[in-house]
Amino acid sequence: MSVEDILAAESELTHLLGGQQAVVLSTRIRLARNLEGLPFPGWAKLPQRKVIADRCVGALEALPKFRRGHVVRMGELGDRDRTVLVERHLVSKELAAGKSGATVISRDQTCSVMVNEEDHLRIQVVKAGWHLRGTWHIAEQLDAALGDVLKMAFSDRLGYLTACPTNVGTGLRASAMVHLPGLCLAGHMDKVTRALNQDGLAVRGWLGEGTEAAGNVFQISNQQTLGLSEEAILKHLGGWIKQVVEQEWNARRKLAQEEGEKFVDRLARSLGVLRSARLLTSSEAMNMLSHLRLACDMGCLPEERRHLVDRLMIEGQPAHVQARAGQELDSDGRDRRRASMVREALKDFPDVVPPTA
Amino acid sequence: MSKPIQCSLCEEAATVHLSQVVHGKVTKVHLCEHCAQKGGATDPAVFQLADALTAATPMPALTCPRCGFTDLDFRKRGRLGCPACWDTFGEALDALLLKVQHEPAHFGRAPAGVVPVAQLRRRLDAARAEMAAAVAGEDFDLAARLRDEIAALERQLAS
Repeated sequence: MSVEDILAAESELTHLLGGQQAVVLSTRIRLARNLEGLPFPGWAKLPQRKVIADRCVGALEALPKFRRGHVVRMGELGDRDRTVLVERHLVSKELAAGKSGATVISRDQTCSVMVNEEDHLRIQVVKAGWHLRGTWHIAEQLDAALGDVLKMAFSDRLGYLTACPTNVGTGLRASAMVHLPGLCLAGHMDKVTRALNQDGLAVRGWLGEGTEAAGNVFQISNQQTLGLSEEAILKHLGGWIKQVVEQEWNARRKLAQEEGEKFVDRLARSLGVLRSARLLTSSEAMNMLSHLRLACDMGCLPEERRHLVDRLMIEGQPAHVQARAGQELDSDGRDRRRASMVREALKDFPDVVPPTA
Repeated sequence: MSKPIQCSLCEEAATVHLSQVVHGKVTKVHLCEHCAQKGGATDPAVFQLADALTAATPMPALTCPRCGFTDLDFRKRGRLGCPACWDTFGEALDALLLKVQHEPAHFGRAPAGVVPVAQLRRRLDAARAEMAAAVAGEDFDLAARLRDEIAALERQLAS
C-alpha cells in the first residue's frame, strides 16, 4: 500500500459529508501503550526496534479493524510522502523523522496505530465533528483487542507504563480540533487559552505541538493522564469544549451583529480572492478558507459546502499539493497549483449572503 | 540597557558568572576576566566553586538493572529507557509526577485479566469515607449505593 492509495481513498476527514460540524472539525483519542520486557523505542537498539515493529505490526494486521487497510513503514517512504502523512495527522513529526517507525491505518483512516514512536504503540482514533464518546468507544475496543494478543507494560500503582512521565497511567490524550475565527477576530483567544491552560488543558496549533494556529484552527487536549479515570478525563475535556463552542458562537453572533455589512464583506472578499487568485500561499489559503468555513456555519454560504472547505484545508497543505501534482515543486509552483486547485473546487460556489445563524 | 555587573573582587565589569547551589540556596559569584584568570585561589568562596567545576563528571546514582538506563540519561532525555525503569526510578520520579500529573497513582483501565489491587484498595478507602459522610449527612440513598459498591470491591479484592 502506498501513500497515493491513502490520498486517493475517500477518508473520514476529507469525504464524510454527514459528520462535519460547525466549530469542531474533529475529535481524536490517543492511547500510549508499550510491550512488557522491551526497551522504549528511544532507548532500544536497532535490532530491538525491529523486534518491536514486527511484533506490533503483525498483531495489528491480524485485527479485523485493519483488514484491507494500509501498513506504511517510514524507512520505505520519501520525505514528501512522510510529510503527507504528517499533514493528514496520520503520523507525528517525530515518527516521520525516524526510519524505524511504522503505522498501520484502517481503510477509512479513522484508526491508525503508530509503532516505534516515543512509545511502542500509539493508538489513534479520529472522527469528523464532535463525537467524544463514539471515538473513545472505538479506541477502547481497539485497545482491548490489542491487549488480547500483546502483553502490555502495566503497573498496579502507575497504570500503563510509558517512556515519558507525562503519558503514564491511562496513556490517554483526548482532543478536539476546533475552528475559532470568532474568538480570534474578537481578540479573546489569549484569554481562552489561559483559562484552558489553568485547568489542565493544552491549546496547540493545527499540526500539534509547536505549530501556529493557521486558519484559526486549534487543538485542545488534556494534559494529565495519571490519577484520573478515562471517564473523568473525557468529562473534563467535554465540559470545556462545550463551553468553548458556546463562547465561539457568542463571539460570532456579536461580531456579525456589530459589524453588519463589514462582516459579510470580509467573507465575500475571501471567496473572491480564492475564486480568482493565480498564486496562493498555504497560510493565505488557510486563513481565507477559515472565512469560508465561518460563512458555511453562519448561513452565508450553504452548509452542505462545508465538507469541501475542510477537504481543501487538508489538501492545500504543501506536501499534499506536491503529491497530487506527482512532482516536487518550488514554492511558486506550489502556490500556483494550490490556487488552481482551489479555483476549480470553488468555481460553482454561490455568492456570500448575509448571515442567518 | 542595564548597568554591567561588577566583579565580586575588584571594581571591573564582570564577564565570568558562576553559580553554585548549596543546600538549595543559590550562591552567585561574578568575576572580571583578570580575577577569573588569577583562578580566585586567594578567595575561599571562589576556590570552592572552581573546585566543584573541575570535579569529575557526575556519577549516576541509579541504574536500571534491566536496560542499563541511568538517572543521568533521564536528566538528559526526559524519557525513560524501558518499562522496568519505572521500578528503578519510581520513587525518584514521584516528585515529578506530583508536578505534572493529577495524582501519582493510577485510576483507570487495566489490561484484561489484571486485577488492579492498589486501585481497588484506594477506591475502597474512599468509598468507606464517603459512606460515613453520607450516613452522617442522612443521605441514605447514597449510603446504600456506596454500601453495595463497597461489598462489590471487597468481593473483587478477596478473589
